[in-house]
Amino acid sequence: MRPENYEAQRQPPSNEYELNFGPNHPGIEGNYALKVKLHGDVVIEANADGGYLHRGFEKLMEQRLWIQNIALVPRICVPDPSPMELCYSMAVEQLCGLVVPKRAQWIRVLQLELSRIAAHLFTFGGHAATTGMYSTMYWGVTDRDLLLDLFEEFTGGRVYSIYNIPGGVRRELPPGFLQRVTETLDYIESRLPDYDNLFFKNQVFVRRAKGVGVMTREQALAWGVTGPNLRATGLAFDVRRDDPYQVYDQLEFEIPTEESGDAWARTLVRRHELMESIRILRQVIDALPDIHGSIRAPIPNPLAWNVPAGETYTRVESSKGELCYYVVSDGGPKPYRVHVRGPSSMHAVQVLEKLAIGSRIEDIAQTMFSLDACPPEVDR
Amino acid sequence: MSSINQIPVIEAKRGNPLSKVFDELVRFCRSRSLFILHYCTGCGAIELPPAMTSRFDMERLGIQPMVSPRQADILLITGYVSIKTLKRVILTYEQMGSPKYVIGICSCTVNGGMYWQSYATAKKLDEYMPVDLYIAGCMPRPEAVIAGLQQLMNRIQSGEANSWEDYFRNYDYYLGNQQKLFGDNWQTPTDIITEAKHYNLMGEGTFGEHTRLLEQHQKPLEALDMRLGHNLKEPTE
Repeated sequence: MRPENYEAQRQPPSNEYELNFGPNHPGIEGNYALKVKLHGDVVIEANADGGYLHRGFEKLMEQRLWIQNIALVPRICVPDPSPMELCYSMAVEQLCGLVVPKRAQWIRVLQLELSRIAAHLFTFGGHAATTGMYSTMYWGVTDRDLLLDLFEEFTGGRVYSIYNIPGGVRRELPPGFLQRVTETLDYIESRLPDYDNLFFKNQVFVRRAKGVGVMTREQALAWGVTGPNLRATGLAFDVRRDDPYQVYDQLEFEIPTEESGDAWARTLVRRHELMESIRILRQVIDALPDIHGSIRAPIPNPLAWNVPAGETYTRVESSKGELCYYVVSDGGPKPYRVHVRGPSSMHAVQVLEKLAIGSRIEDIAQTMFSLDACPPEVDR
Repeated sequence: MSSINQIPVIEAKRGNPLSKVFDELVRFCRSRSLFILHYCTGCGAIELPPAMTSRFDMERLGIQPMVSPRQADILLITGYVSIKTLKRVILTYEQMGSPKYVIGICSCTVNGGMYWQSYATAKKLDEYMPVDLYIAGCMPRPEAVIAGLQQLMNRIQSGEANSWEDYFRNYDYYLGNQQKLFGDNWQTPTDIITEAKHYNLMGEGTFGEHTRLLEQHQKPLEALDMRLGHNLKEPTE
């Protein structure tokens, strides 16, 4: 029945196609995009497409005073800003040779661990939402708000605290604050069994997350993976223990690890870390009332502060992984060069591109959330 | 018999008291069911999950997130807009169905905020698209976001929130600023001028030198270059 002039048109195979995943997509974490090539619904190639959040931080910091940069650095990583301030302050302290008073160091650890718990709760919420469990998201975000209330009370800011400055911290803790921290921690700990039943032990989550985005320990080390993602492959590396800063060498805590290296293992590591953070905070709360003294080392007039020439490299363990600052000073009132080594630049670009291959399209969002990538930190 | 003829015929045109009542009813309903487009452009987006979830609960005001721009009413610009994002934001804004409302959250949308000297961000949002409402702060608390949305609801109900008409009436101005940033051959797949004719919203500023430039450069858009660099295989026999 075909007409005589019929010729079959040569067309590309229709089961292979390309999709723009993001930046306007509910499954993507922040303003970030992936270009994926699919065969059916299996990913065969993924290209990360960042730069939507680029603000040129490293250049901006060269144009501002040393003290002004304190207000700028927390904006690099929005869900977990405290390690950013601390790491930059530590770099300036090393350049100036400032010795931070003991009490300030303990308060800094208090702030860091509170920030870690808040960031992990937020990640659980986001990860659960990508698997369709919105209740966990509602719980996680609401419980995180209790911690933000604490931040507001002792630093003045809900999200961006701007509390650490080179030399110490800005304010003394308000009276009765440690009691309120204890109450909040007790509440969050009492909620964890509920989270287990709703999310971590939920078969909907376990079956979807097991075997998704698997990486071996060798791959993780070759790709520059740090933090909970590296610990999920069985290597117990943590900057807090292996290169202690502040007072982490006086605290007792364990480094939780998992062996399987998939999305499920990464989430479980974060859940155990949350428990360890609560344990650290309890030790800090016990120790702080007995530590007296100043909270700030004397610094020169911050508006005319010439930091001695030199270069330094500091690192801390943020909730996403190892965060490092490379700071160069030429002896002037502004930094000569600041480089930020954020953990997410590795996790969201090179690791996500490789882990997405072979997974299904609906698991890309889950892989990204299980890596806990933070797009503003990728683009900076 | 003659009772039908005695009923006055209501002419459906503006200025008629009944149509005014109808307009008010429509505006009331419109202000009570708003869908926010799910597009997090900057750091202000981190205060939206608290505003949406159990603690502050935006949904009690009838406001919900929506994933598709075609069905959304509000475009929330949460924070600084880098130039790469601004292209997508304009594309998204033009895709949304009228009436549409734009809210600029954070100081960065007002005047550049912290990043006033950055080479990568667009400083003033209202140069590129009309903005209904700004919520200043770095970043505004969830209470402020909800207060701002309530103010938008009031403005919609009283008929003041019609910045979307402004985009059609002054298209030349907005297009000119966009061309200044993205280059002379900037174009979007949406035909704003035809849409303005359709809505009967042609103003003095709809045409101008920039729209003439657009007509010169406009050509049918090709499929986006995915840059994946693969060769299509020949179909096997």
